[in-house]
Amino acid sequence: MDWLTTVDHKKLGILYLWFTLFFFAVGGIFALLVRTQLAVGENTFLANDAYNQIFTMHASSMLFLFIIPIWAGFGNYFVPLHIGAMDMAFPRINALSFWMLPPAAILMFAGFLVDGGAAAGGWTAYTPLSRQAGMGMDLWILAVLLLGMSSTIGAANFLVTMFRMRAPGMTMFRMPIFSWTMLVTALLQLLATPVLAAALAMLFIDRNYGGAFFDPNGGGNVVLWQNVFWFYSHPAVYIMILPGMGIISEILPVFSRKPLFGYKAFVFATMGIGALGFSVWAHHMFTTGAVLLPFFGIMTFMIGVPTGVKIFNWLGTVWGGSISFKSPMLWGLGFVSMFLIGGLNGTFSAAVPVDFALHDTYFVVAHIHYVLFGGSVMAVFAGLYYWFPKIWGRMLDERLGQLHFVLGFIGFNLTFFPMHLLGLDGMPRRIATYANDTGWEPMNLLSTIGAFLIAVSMIPFIINVVLAFRRPPDQPNDPWEGNTLEWATTSPPPVHNFDSLPPIKSERPLFDARQENKDTETN
Amino acid sequence: MQRPLKRIRLLAALSLAAVLGLGSASTALAVQPGGITDEAHEMHDLFLVMLYFSIALFVIIASALLYAIIRFRRKDDELPKQVHGSNRIEILWTGLPIIIVIILFTLSLITLFDVEKKAKQDALTVEVTGFQYQWQFVYDLNDLGVGEFEGEGTITIIGTPANEPELVLPVNEIVEFTLQSTDVIHSFYVRDFLYKLDLIPGRINTFSVTPRETGVFRAQCAELCGVNHALMRFTVRIVEREEFDEWIKQTAKHQSADQEDEKTVRANEREQ
Ligand SMILES: [Cu+2]
Ligand SMILES: [Cu+2]
Repeated sequence: MDWLTTVDHKKLGILYLWFTLFFFAVGGIFALLVRTQLAVGENTFLANDAYNQIFTMHASSMLFLFIIPIWAGFGNYFVPLHIGAMDMAFPRINALSFWMLPPAAILMFAGFLVDGGAAAGGWTAYTPLSRQAGMGMDLWILAVLLLGMSSTIGAANFLVTMFRMRAPGMTMFRMPIFSWTMLVTALLQLLATPVLAAALAMLFIDRNYGGAFFDPNGGGNVVLWQNVFWFYSHPAVYIMILPGMGIISEILPVFSRKPLFGYKAFVFATMGIGALGFSVWAHHMFTTGAVLLPFFGIMTFMIGVPTGVKIFNWLGTVWGGSISFKSPMLWGLGFVSMFLIGGLNGTFSAAVPVDFALHDTYFVVAHIHYVLFGGSVMAVFAGLYYWFPKIWGRMLDERLGQLHFVLGFIGFNLTFFPMHLLGLDGMPRRIATYANDTGWEPMNLLSTIGAFLIAVSMIPFIINVVLAFRRPPDQPNDPWEGNTLEWATTSPPPVHNFDSLPPIKSERPLFDARQENKDTETN
Repeated sequence: MQRPLKRIRLLAALSLAAVLGLGSASTALAVQPGGITDEAHEMHDLFLVMLYFSIALFVIIASALLYAIIRFRRKDDELPKQVHGSNRIEILWTGLPIIIVIILFTLSLITLFDVEKKAKQDALTVEVTGFQYQWQFVYDLNDLGVGEFEGEGTITIIGTPANEPELVLPVNEIVEFTLQSTDVIHSFYVRDFLYKLDLIPGRINTFSVTPRETGVFRAQCAELCGVNHALMRFTVRIVEREEFDEWIKQTAKHQSADQEDEKTVRANEREQ
């Protein structure tokens, strides 16, 4: 009962984590179905119609029910702790944000029960295809609207919390980078999500009340949907990755025993990505023939610059450090190396004439997974291994953690690297099957094997978590020699978070405190 | 305690070495087909420039990371030097990427203007219509480019999933395509053109290419358009001009015969 009525940011954070990890599993199972269908040419494992529903719901659960809300989960738990606050600014609104998720998920998946099945137009729901679709599409629209509302009010809550609730001494430029990335993410959500809501409302009206926003026969415009959809969904890509970058920027310094290289540069790069993120949406539309190509080309190239700055800063952080390879760090280094690929293969599409070939092929599928799996998902695991002892008062086993990482890392590359080659060889995305004489089978088979290897890599992780919960808590306050305030309190923290706070004189208050202790000892 | 630590380092190093290997292997593997049109050749060159830049950057950065991981692993409890950053280095690694980006953008812009050049009025024109789930290609007999063929009317090729249509084009001549759709968005994608353009209801898109190789090439719809999107395939057959003219003549004859048949059928129906 306590869990249903709680307004404690930590309990809500835990609810977010369980909820989103559940949908990570669901989305993962859907991914396995997709990969099974594509393993060989002319496969009949899934009918075309079922295939379209499955890949649409794979993306929808991964993006809307896993990645976007899991950052709200980590943020809920750690932003108040990071800034030395007792709770979020509006605890009840916080609970409301979370409790909008389960009904949205139910609505979205209820599509499988209605006539015509679940939404099958891809997570991008392009018109006019999405105007034709069955009732599952309406349920999908309502679900995404609800999720959008949840993240909008959540964003407002995060912003107020960070602006108004910081502990004495915690200036803006002493906030942990994770909080900074949550701040920029919240700004993006606040500015972009209402545009998505407008787009969804228009689509709903078109479908149900004879509207013609997207119908050329009624004076509407088909491409308008893509403009408003991507005006949200490109910034949404940063909503999905920035907090992950924040987590990595907490972990690399701790396990290198050095401060983050270029803290301020990192903050400005994050803001730069956020701002530029609003000017590149039409790079998803280069082949519509309805886009000012040079403008969106140069803006997309430019966004590579602040992204590059971040990668260099991470490199500068580990350079000259004293690195220990604990599980969080393994995932952190995995993130840096894989996100590097995801950044580089993204620039191909910024070169408009190159994008003419690559757009809507498996090359793009490879790109998005190097960013969202090689990036975001690796950051999720980095964060889980790093903060598990704080949240649940128990360490995770290192050996199982390493096994999880190694299998996951190999599986990931095996799944997604071959997709580059398939895309260059002309395999379009979202096709339910392909002819045997295309020559696409070997790479697809490899990719499918990789996908199952990723699934296998989850076994040691699950065992690890189960074993941890069966042990009595060892409650280490600061097992990693952390830098930020969450390590100053007990594991798990008390309801009011802190009995007392150390003085905050830099972005690493706990490091400062440790140094002072050492100095007094030696004196 | 020493042994597992060593193994982890080894694993980390190995996995990163694998990444490096992937990077260099991609030089050999990730080679796009070179394309069969003038436009494709130019776009392929741009692709290679992007590829070499990316691989160079990847190898440099990943090697630096790999070196750091091996060289700076924790050996003792000594705290490393606490470097907070360096403005000079930040400016360097902001400035250099800006220069690289401007170079790549300029190259891509030059290519873009070249491939977007429109065909002349009298060039061969093919009208492409996409529908769920096939293609229709219409040749206007008055608009066949430089050929000898004299005639009136149009030739229409309509595909079915069981009988995928073939788009026949003459080699070494610029062809203009006009694209339109009657239902949802489709995308006209020929792998060996290294090009695709969407067919959008309420809008007519055009592009032109000059094929330089004869042969048969597979192609298919690249924009999700519903249940049988995967089956929206067609082939492009590029032939010498004489063969093309012959094909036009034969097809025109067949189709006018078919049309005559249809007319008589309809006339009969009306009489009844
Ligand atoms: Cu984008
Ligand atoms: Cu299609």
